[in-house]
Amino acid sequence: MKRTLPIVILIVAVSVVLMFLGLSTGRSAGTVGIASGVALPGFSTSAPNPEQALNNFLLDVQRRNWDRAFSSVERTSDTLNEQAFIQEWVGSNGGLRSFSSLERFDTRPLHATNSEAQMRARLHWSTPVGPVEDVRDFHLAHRGDTWKVIWDETPKPNVPAQIVPVNYLRWDLVTGTAGEDWGAHNVDAPNVRIVSMNAVDSAEGAVVMGEVVNEDTIPAFVNVNATLVDGSGSAIDDESSFDKILHVLLPKQVTPYRIDFPHVSLSKVKNVRMDVKATLVPASSDPVIGVMNQKLETDAQGHSVLHGELLNESGQTVNIPHVIASFYDNSGKVVWVSDGYVEQALVPQSTESFAVEIPQSVAGKVQNFHVVVNQYSLQKS
Amino acid sequence: MTQNESYSRPIPLLAIVLVSFDANFHIFLASHYAHHWFNPWNEKWFAGFSQTTYPPLTHQWIALVSNVAGLKMGYMLVQLVGVLLLPVGVFRFARIWVDDRASSYAALGSIFLGALAFLIYQAGQLATITSAALYLNALPYFYDWSAQGSGRALVKGVAVSWAAAAAHHVTLIFGTVLFAGPVLWVICKDALDGRTKGSVAASVSRAVLFAVLVGVGVGVVLFPYWMTLIQHPIHQIPIPHDSRANFLLNSITAINYFVIPYGALILALPFIVIRGASVRRLRPLLFGFWLTLIFGLGGTTPLPRWLLGRAFEVLTFERFTFWATLMAMPIVGLLAVELLDRFRAKAAVALSLAAVATVGAALAWLTANPYRPAATVNVNPVIAFLNRDGHDAYRYLTLGFGSELAQVSTYTNASSVDGDYNSARLLPEMTHYGSAQLTNAKFYGSAGMASLRAMLEHANRYGLKYVFVHDSYYEPLLTFVGWRKTETFGNGEITAWSKDDVPPAHRIDSDAIPTAWMGLLWGTLPIGVSVLAIFLVILLPARQPARKAIESQREISEPARDYVA
Repeated sequence: MKRTLPIVILIVAVSVVLMFLGLSTGRSAGTVGIASGVALPGFSTSAPNPEQALNNFLLDVQRRNWDRAFSSVERTSDTLNEQAFIQEWVGSNGGLRSFSSLERFDTRPLHATNSEAQMRARLHWSTPVGPVEDVRDFHLAHRGDTWKVIWDETPKPNVPAQIVPVNYLRWDLVTGTAGEDWGAHNVDAPNVRIVSMNAVDSAEGAVVMGEVVNEDTIPAFVNVNATLVDGSGSAIDDESSFDKILHVLLPKQVTPYRIDFPHVSLSKVKNVRMDVKATLVPASSDPVIGVMNQKLETDAQGHSVLHGELLNESGQTVNIPHVIASFYDNSGKVVWVSDGYVEQALVPQSTESFAVEIPQSVAGKVQNFHVVVNQYSLQKS
Repeated sequence: MTQNESYSRPIPLLAIVLVSFDANFHIFLASHYAHHWFNPWNEKWFAGFSQTTYPPLTHQWIALVSNVAGLKMGYMLVQLVGVLLLPVGVFRFARIWVDDRASSYAALGSIFLGALAFLIYQAGQLATITSAALYLNALPYFYDWSAQGSGRALVKGVAVSWAAAAAHHVTLIFGTVLFAGPVLWVICKDALDGRTKGSVAASVSRAVLFAVLVGVGVGVVLFPYWMTLIQHPIHQIPIPHDSRANFLLNSITAINYFVIPYGALILALPFIVIRGASVRRLRPLLFGFWLTLIFGLGGTTPLPRWLLGRAFEVLTFERFTFWATLMAMPIVGLLAVELLDRFRAKAAVALSLAAVATVGAALAWLTANPYRPAATVNVNPVIAFLNRDGHDAYRYLTLGFGSELAQVSTYTNASSVDGDYNSARLLPEMTHYGSAQLTNAKFYGSAGMASLRAMLEHANRYGLKYVFVHDSYYEPLLTFVGWRKTETFGNGEITAWSKDDVPPAHRIDSDAIPTAWMGLLWGTLPIGVSVLAIFLVILLPARQPARKAIESQREISEPARDYVA
């Protein structure tokens, strides 16, 4: 019995010490996309400095603890209600942000005094089309014994109801049997041609890019495949254009394409075998998305970026716009193809800005560019 | 096996186990044995994988029973046998430490463990439960042989241990340290006290002989497994699992992996520690329990990471909590005895309520927790689609199906590039990313979606033509990368997407395909040792129970008076 107390104390003490050590190294984890609770009472961190305050705030946003997140901000106007606050984070109208989850974030101070601080957060979102990075600046203020995030985002105004006439071209496909597989129709494939091809080395590997045109009078569903062949005639790798192409091509429409071969050096490649597959599909030229105010600029970090705006000229919401830009040198050769997804939905008759980056190695050669817009609409899916 | 079986509805009470996370996975593996008993190469997942990556005993028993009762009933019956073996094992294990009365309460209590309900109804860890039950039954033989030199105990203990390993190797590996360690410790104590046959050295020598026989046997019985592991060590990027999180920083995780599995046992923790510390004989058990409990806390403490190294990122830790609750049961049995002796009917009512509340909370949590298995999807139209018009000439992928993926795979002839068993994956599109099943890609964030993108990029390479979507989250990606929606099932609940230029699937060459003789070993030894164990236990009854050590424990609890379970 005389050993009972020491053993009990030892077990309890070691357990507590291990838990304390675990707090300094442990992860709160939580499955992405699932609200994953809060720290147990007594284990949540206070906000004695702006870094911790912003971290706590973003952690609540990440876990979708909206009440806690909203209570930790200081509003600049009473019109900024919790609903608008939530919508700012989760998006609206079925845009890409609506599908996204905040996976992680990095914060760093830009400027700080005893009463105010300016912080920059790099937000890493997980989305259906791949990771999206977002840089956002936050203003924090010292209130009492804690720091608060100042929330001054103004909600977007609601667009008044309006009628938009639609008179765009549309091609329907009438088949003999309903049970036929898609793509197995007894009609000739549309006449689609690769009009240019350029193979270059990039930091990630070899890249094959160019343009494809639909020369037919019917719409085509297009995929471009490329096989790299070495000196002995053996295939090194084969890849496809994947999402770096406009798959549905209307008659006479041109699309850029880019095919990446990660970890393959062009020096080993003797030949590139190109293969374009086209299938007849129903299609519509609606929604029409205009590309405006395009300009090549250098951003604060020294990257060359093509900025512009998309205008939805039709009457239906484009939930996820996808911008594909081809860049040409002075001889008209395609020297790069970039793409980017727009996070906000494009509601009818509205604009959203876009930006696609160009690698530094080709930025100097670019003389011209051409932008096409792919889109995903819930109504059409 | 007929297609019609998928439409059959088993007994509803038992059928709850079928909606657990892993139930369809076990049924899928069993289905392969039902059709190809001696060929462990299964082409239905990952464009081909070897079932020698998972100990086969429970699946082979399901396959055998399925010939009479069907796969689902087979699963439920094997699960039932595992659950029935558990209180028997707890009773026999508890008798090493406490008297018969406390042991009987321990056995009774084990049926109501929240951790058991969690593993059966939420996780569906058939193999872990069965193996733990077998292992607990083997440990008293280990004690009897080491302490008393009983030859019958040696033979039976070794055979039951082999069967436990054939059900689940991980249980045996960790059980050696966590369960057998305290038993060996108490054998040494008994030897020092002169309660064993021969000296300490003799007892330890017998224990070593037991361990060697078990080790060699497990090496032989699971030989194809070890060969596969050596040939293809698990080098894949670690996959996140919430059981590795710090429970103090996440209330949902704490409830899921601590409060629900322990249930009313949380109230007994002070008694377990104090009584375990105050009685010399119980100290090894207390230490084993404490270590297992700490492991079960996952990333709440750094100890598991320190001790396991990289294995920490491979293992899941809910099984440690299950083992911890099992190890606590002998001391909990003592608590029940003391409460019943002191408070009689009031204690009986309180203990009954605590037991029922623990199981009730675990069952209620099935519908309340955010990690619950997804509602059952009617996958029959998908199965019918794949089995008609030559669609099975191509591979397919499901998105948003959760564990129903395994159900589709069980009843279709077509092959998938996805699968629900992480350790069997060899395709680089999966092993190079920190995510598990493609069907659940979104829950693994960017890593999961990157893995899915990589697989879709190589659709032509694998003959991947069809994608079935049960979650509109994935539709934008499919639209942008060249798939088109072609069919809709169940009023839009599931949509079928197709890619036009995909060639028919061809067999993917792999150096992981087991040889014919390995298939023969795999089809005979694991099931053989289980049959051997059954016969030995029946044909060689114990001449005398291991009483010496137990009868010396009279000071722990008074003899039974009332309420003997």
